[in-house]
Amino acid sequence: MNPSISQQERFARIQLNAFLYFRADWLTQLIEIFGSAENILRQNAETLAKEANISFTTAANLLKEAHGINPQEEWEKTEKIGGHIFVQEDEEYPQSLRNCKEAPIALYVLGKLPSEQTACVGMVGTRKITPYGRRVAAKLAEELAQSGVTVISGLARGVDSECHAACVRLKKPTVAVIGTGIGRCYPPENHALEKAILANGGAVVSELPFNRPPNAFHFPRRNRIIAALSQPVVVVEGEVKSGALITAKLALEMGKDVLAVPGPIDSPQSGGPNSLIRQGAGVVTSTADILDYIPQQLRFGLDPRFFEHTQEIPAKPEEQLSAREAEVMKAVADRQVSLDQVAEAIKAGVPEAAQLLFELEVKGFLACENGLYSKSKF
Amino acid sequence: MLATTCTGTIKGIEGFAVSAEVDIAPGMPTFAVVGLPDAEVRESKERVIAAVRNSGFDFPVKRITVNLSPAQVRKSGTQFDLPIALGILAASEQLSPAAIERLKDFLVLGELALDGSLRQCAGVLPILISCKNLGKTAVIPPQNVLEGQVSSAPFITPHTLRELTDFLEGKLSNEQVQISYLPQEEEEIAPATVDFSEVKGQALAKRALEIAAAGGHNVLMIGLPGTGKSMLAKRFTTILPPLTQEESLEITKIYSICNLLGKSKLFSQRPFRDPHHTISDVALIGGGSTPKPGEVSLAHHGVLFLDEFAEFSRSALEVLREPLENGIVTISRAKETVSYPARFTLVAAMNPCPCGNLGNPLKPCTCTPMQVNRYKSRISGPLLDRIDLTVNLNPVKYEDWNKASEGETSAQIRERVLAARERQRKRFGNSLTTNATMTNRELKEFCKLPDGADAILEAAMRKFGLSARSLDKILKTARTIADLENKDQITTQHLIEVMQYRPLDRKGVADF
Repeated sequence: MNPSISQQERFARIQLNAFLYFRADWLTQLIEIFGSAENILRQNAETLAKEANISFTTAANLLKEAHGINPQEEWEKTEKIGGHIFVQEDEEYPQSLRNCKEAPIALYVLGKLPSEQTACVGMVGTRKITPYGRRVAAKLAEELAQSGVTVISGLARGVDSECHAACVRLKKPTVAVIGTGIGRCYPPENHALEKAILANGGAVVSELPFNRPPNAFHFPRRNRIIAALSQPVVVVEGEVKSGALITAKLALEMGKDVLAVPGPIDSPQSGGPNSLIRQGAGVVTSTADILDYIPQQLRFGLDPRFFEHTQEIPAKPEEQLSAREAEVMKAVADRQVSLDQVAEAIKAGVPEAAQLLFELEVKGFLACENGLYSKSKF
Repeated sequence: MLATTCTGTIKGIEGFAVSAEVDIAPGMPTFAVVGLPDAEVRESKERVIAAVRNSGFDFPVKRITVNLSPAQVRKSGTQFDLPIALGILAASEQLSPAAIERLKDFLVLGELALDGSLRQCAGVLPILISCKNLGKTAVIPPQNVLEGQVSSAPFITPHTLRELTDFLEGKLSNEQVQISYLPQEEEEIAPATVDFSEVKGQALAKRALEIAAAGGHNVLMIGLPGTGKSMLAKRFTTILPPLTQEESLEITKIYSICNLLGKSKLFSQRPFRDPHHTISDVALIGGGSTPKPGEVSLAHHGVLFLDEFAEFSRSALEVLREPLENGIVTISRAKETVSYPARFTLVAAMNPCPCGNLGNPLKPCTCTPMQVNRYKSRISGPLLDRIDLTVNLNPVKYEDWNKASEGETSAQIRERVLAARERQRKRFGNSLTTNATMTNRELKEFCKLPDGADAILEAAMRKFGLSARSLDKILKTARTIADLENKDQITTQHLIEVMQYRPLDRKGVADF
């Protein structure tokens, strides 16, 4: 905490921060004009509108929203669940975010943010993940975490959850920038994942007031924080119009590198990354492709093995399988198949096919969704 | 003068005797029916007046009071027309004293047409069965002859009011007012028009239905449009065990109350009911101010097929919980409480998502994950808890569809089902309990976990997020699979197969 910032000023910043209909950099400018956030809150709507050259309605709304927040309560509730609220002057406020044009004037943080010397990679993607996306996201996130990189994502369904879950499985830190206030989890089924992120040295970050429920416009807004914290940003899967592409666009505007995982040209979820590649984004075919974009000064301490583009191919998973199980894997290939199709391909009855698929799923070779099986490993 | 005719009505699915007292007194010409008559009973006045006149009698222009006793019980149905008309004829002395004396030996039921002919009325079978001990001969409309036959009570079937009075007067013989029902031989053994072998592919779904038939489990089919959900459901009755005499009688009673019996339809096939998804909860479960059985009771001992399961109104689905649990529906109204049996197998079908394409490899789904979740959550947890088997159906490939060799026939599957049911009958000591309905005590006794099950269940809980609550259902289903294989013990193989039928238990989040 920066001692030169008084508690009153902090509280005033927290209040101003709640006005979400203003870009964060406009708020920063306002603070510059008036000298301090406290001073802004002392104004009435008319003078605020005049001095800041904004409309009266906006000024009135800003003051109304700001006075509607009880900063003392925000502060206490956040502390109670072990979090902190940082302002830009605090040394705990991430440098990379401070450098960004639209840095939030207050940041709610649960857990421990990665240090400035940590390499951070943003991984974003669709909520409607395909089995391909699932495999890729899990593999890349796992290897990045192993190499020592912190994965930044948004705790949404689909790609985000896959990436966070992969890091948590390896007990590595990961950062979730969420689209709700801290203290609230969205989607609700990720509650356990959020807890696990915190338990493994990761962080949950939000610019929104405490416990703020989700709202459609929160999500594209928080994407800029993901982009600001990361270098590079990897788009795993996403439709041509999607939040993932918004993040990519914001990252480009911030001068970050954007990488994309190529996918089948007829898969809507790969439309986004494929179009990014067409526009010149880096192509991700392995973890090394991502690590190449990590700034030189952050590479210290990363596992050099993962920088090798010709990694030794790991032992084929099929080799650990029985002959019958291998047949099943062959039948699944890189498609999504139903139990019926497997049973027919390996000439087995339903009970035998069920048994084989169960074993393979428990061992982690297959994943099942809506009754369709697909490979979950490379 | 006063005359009393014996008739009957129904409460729940049981009948009871009612005496229709008719009093004709001088005074202002009125015609009043008392004794808690329903709308249809009150309307019988008009039918009776016309029928009496059109049968060549005089309708007395006097003060007529009809009392249906016991007076505190609500009366419904059109069967009171005939007894009221006879009572009026007797009280106005248009029948001879001998005929009036003879009338006392009869239990009279029948709706009257305006020309005096008799029409089919509802609930004849339960009334005849309940009133058998009165030792009376029944008078029933010729259209209800099947029910008379089934009840094995003595009965006559006059065609018109006039025919009946002539018979009472001794002008017609017993034979002249009786038609007999001859079951048409070919219809008894008529082969089912549908067969399982017509369904191409879908081995998993077929297997699930076989298990459901064998153990009396409820099934939910989730599949893309056009994958054969309805086709499979329609064929489900063909693999169920045949009806016993007792079951057939119970079903016939219910259909009799609802006036849904065809002219010559004996229940040799289990009923199959597929109400539309806009059905109201009262139509589904039964009820109304004068309670009537609903679809769940019409599906008694048979199959209730609910297509587009998620489109049913929430309240309609929730009322299913009681009959699914107890096999009985109790309808309590301020005036009365009645129970209808409703021991059916639920076969439900739904799309995987609102647009119907989720999981279709050829067409992308256009729903958001939120929409899919909302769609699935229309089926509440407590309701899903009562469904043991859930299967995903996937599109049938052209090769399968065009395959020359046909799958197993219904008869082949039914043979295995019958053997499994026989094992259950021996185990539980009665034919009503199935694996799906066994009690906790029976579950403990008959469903022992096999060696090595711990590892499987632990893996399933960790990997799929199966809850401990679903464990009981898994065991019950595994028991049925073991029965189908004629095994005394559940094996790990059976448990693993059951996991395939619990896709909705899977957690929808990345595991870590």
